[in-house]
Amino acid sequence: MADIDELIGKLAGEARTVKPAPHPFMLSTKWMAGATAYLLVALAISGTRMDLASKFQELLFALEIVALLAIFISSSLSAALLSYPDLHQKRAIAYAPAGALALLVLVMFFAWRADDPPTPLPVHSIQCSLEITLLSLLPIGWTFYVMRQYASTHQRWAGSIALFFAFSIGALWLRLAENTDSIIHLVQWHYLPLIAFGITGMWLGKKFLKW
Amino acid sequence: MKQSLAGDQRTYAELLQATSRLLQPYLSKRLNSASEVDDVLQEILISVHKARHTYDGKRPYKPWVYAIAKFRLHDHLRAHYNDQLHHADDLSEIEEILPEDVTEPVLSYESISIEVEKLPEKQATILRLMHQEGYTAREVAEKIGMSESAVKVAAHRAYKVLRKKLEE
Repeated sequence: MADIDELIGKLAGEARTVKPAPHPFMLSTKWMAGATAYLLVALAISGTRMDLASKFQELLFALEIVALLAIFISSSLSAALLSYPDLHQKRAIAYAPAGALALLVLVMFFAWRADDPPTPLPVHSIQCSLEITLLSLLPIGWTFYVMRQYASTHQRWAGSIALFFAFSIGALWLRLAENTDSIIHLVQWHYLPLIAFGITGMWLGKKFLKW
Repeated sequence: MKQSLAGDQRTYAELLQATSRLLQPYLSKRLNSASEVDDVLQEILISVHKARHTYDGKRPYKPWVYAIAKFRLHDHLRAHYNDQLHHADDLSEIEEILPEDVTEPVLSYESISIEVEKLPEKQATILRLMHQEGYTAREVAEKIGMSESAVKVAAHRAYKVLRKKLEE
């Protein structure tokens, strides 16, 4: 007990004015604003698909983009909450990406059923996964850098969600830029790599979000 | 906490004292020995200090501090059980070697007893109780006021020392 008292004395002696961390919603807004700017720059460089305006007339395409946006927004909010030890006492919101992911799965299921006769597969394959990964690298680094300044007590979960967030930026970019509508291709090379991202995120979170 | 964040050292010390009193029963229920409770409590207080900027004073303090306490407790338990598992592996290796060694004529009961007496008092007592008087680790733990796992760890350390000495 004497050790505890001594430690408390030492810690209290080190106490200086501390600037409280921003509200997680503010943090999330900053991430989303930065990511949107990054996405717009990427789209300006790569160009959007030629038929983008007409594609938005298709319900399932529009819903797919909405689902990706839902993953983008919910994972940003969740990652921000997971940066705080107590999830800022808003645990329910931290689970929101699961709902957004379920929406994407549902939309892709209906898109697959509607894809009859199936759209021919494009010539390329893994190239899409690599492009999404490459575009996501900068947001991954940025999100982890910011998260490390806080104190996550759910490091694996936080890492995984941070990568979901970065992935959603890459996935949105490619869906708006690439002229591919084969559902099999989209599922296989655009969305299934999300699982690999999630697992890698758990590992990265455990490694880099220690404090 | 708000005052503490503003750099008020006295209030901060009081807050840490209150936190320490709050967490002691929580940890005592979950850990075996008083020394373990103290170690984990120190870890938690340091973590509270490091993470104090993530608390803004606008939401309840207890859920925040318990989240940190739970996190550090789990960290400690994970490390403890990993360690135990590692020791258990070592012990099985020793068990394979021990029958060969003790049947060698150079090792007598007396020579082992002499080496046991040279061990630190706690380790020597544990080995005497377990191997001369036939108590189990749990019984030894109750007898000398330690946790069962601490007794096993101390015994294992003693085996390691003995093995080294008897191999020389």
